[in-house]
Amino acid sequence: MVKQFAEWLSTTSPSVFIQNHNGWVIPTIQSIHIIGIAVVLGSVFMIYLRILGWAGMDQTLRQTTSRFGPWLTGGLYLMLATGVLMVIGEPVRELVTFSFWLKMFLVAVSTVFAAAFQVSLRKHEQRWEETLIKRRSIQGLAILTFLIWVCIIILGRLIAYDHIWGPWSPATKA
Amino acid sequence: MPMDIDALLKSLEASGLATRIRDSVYLFPMIESTHVIGLALVFGTIAIIDLRLLGLASTHRSFQRMASDILKWTWAAFVLTVLTGSLMFTTNAAVYYHNLFFRTKMLLLALSGINMLFFELTAGRTIHRWDQAPSAPRAARAVAALSLAMWIGIICMGRLIGFTTSRAAAAPTPPAGVNFDDFLQGTPSDNGTQTTPAQHK
Repeated sequence: MVKQFAEWLSTTSPSVFIQNHNGWVIPTIQSIHIIGIAVVLGSVFMIYLRILGWAGMDQTLRQTTSRFGPWLTGGLYLMLATGVLMVIGEPVRELVTFSFWLKMFLVAVSTVFAAAFQVSLRKHEQRWEETLIKRRSIQGLAILTFLIWVCIIILGRLIAYDHIWGPWSPATKA
Repeated sequence: MPMDIDALLKSLEASGLATRIRDSVYLFPMIESTHVIGLALVFGTIAIIDLRLLGLASTHRSFQRMASDILKWTWAAFVLTVLTGSLMFTTNAAVYYHNLFFRTKMLLLALSGINMLFFELTAGRTIHRWDQAPSAPRAARAVAALSLAMWIGIICMGRLIGFTTSRAAAAPTPPAGVNFDDFLQGTPSDNGTQTTPAQHK
């Protein structure tokens, strides 16, 4: 199913255009995607450091999230846009892999976490600043979600090496 | 002596460590992923500092405070990228060494070091005067803008290394200054995956 879709997508004209200019289009899109990773990871990193009390202690949690939240959202949109272009440009290489789908699942999980955090912080600002931020469970959750972002980056790179998943990789069956 | 360098590069490639990485299915991808995580933190945190200097973000915060909060993480992440980068280099040293994008990347890294040094010698000496100001003095803003541009360049060069050092591209040493499209055409877009078995003697 996915493979057929990927093969169909590779015959569409936007995909053909990227394939015909793959010399510079794909490296450029990938480089912008990596810059997006830096914006996203840098932003979440600063928010996690603040939750853990390791940086930005001259700022409230709310100040920290208003500084980095919009960059996180912007970075995610940049990654979505460049990610879609990479899928259009190389549909089979991207979609017919185990790494890609596991990555998408984790992206969905992280995005839900990030959105839930933002909503909760807006609703219970005082509680977050005074008590929640000091809770071990919240700090543990912060470390866990940071590790999910790290896994997302690793899986993104592993799309190029999907064979390491052995029988789990649809690419090896092709 | 170029002869000596070639011999050195060859012995690096033949080292036990390089062989171990080449022979493993997992090591190279994991080292490369760690490199990406490191560079994301390096560029992400440097950008926060540069945007502060430019007066584009965090303008209400003390520069000194931000620098002492953030730059230690930047350095830690930088060490991670140097270590992982060196490990990747050993696996295919001669090819990387002669690669135009690799050389440009190293040049840009050196220039961003000089850029940082320039900051220390100019605006860095008068931080107490502009620490709370929304933007830094002109010299520091120039340093910040250059730093952002050079790091973006470093990231692009790094990605291009992966496209030009794979087995297909590595065999003939491509001449410098050719048309970009010709240069890269026909190379598999698989980002250096196959650097491993390339035995180009």
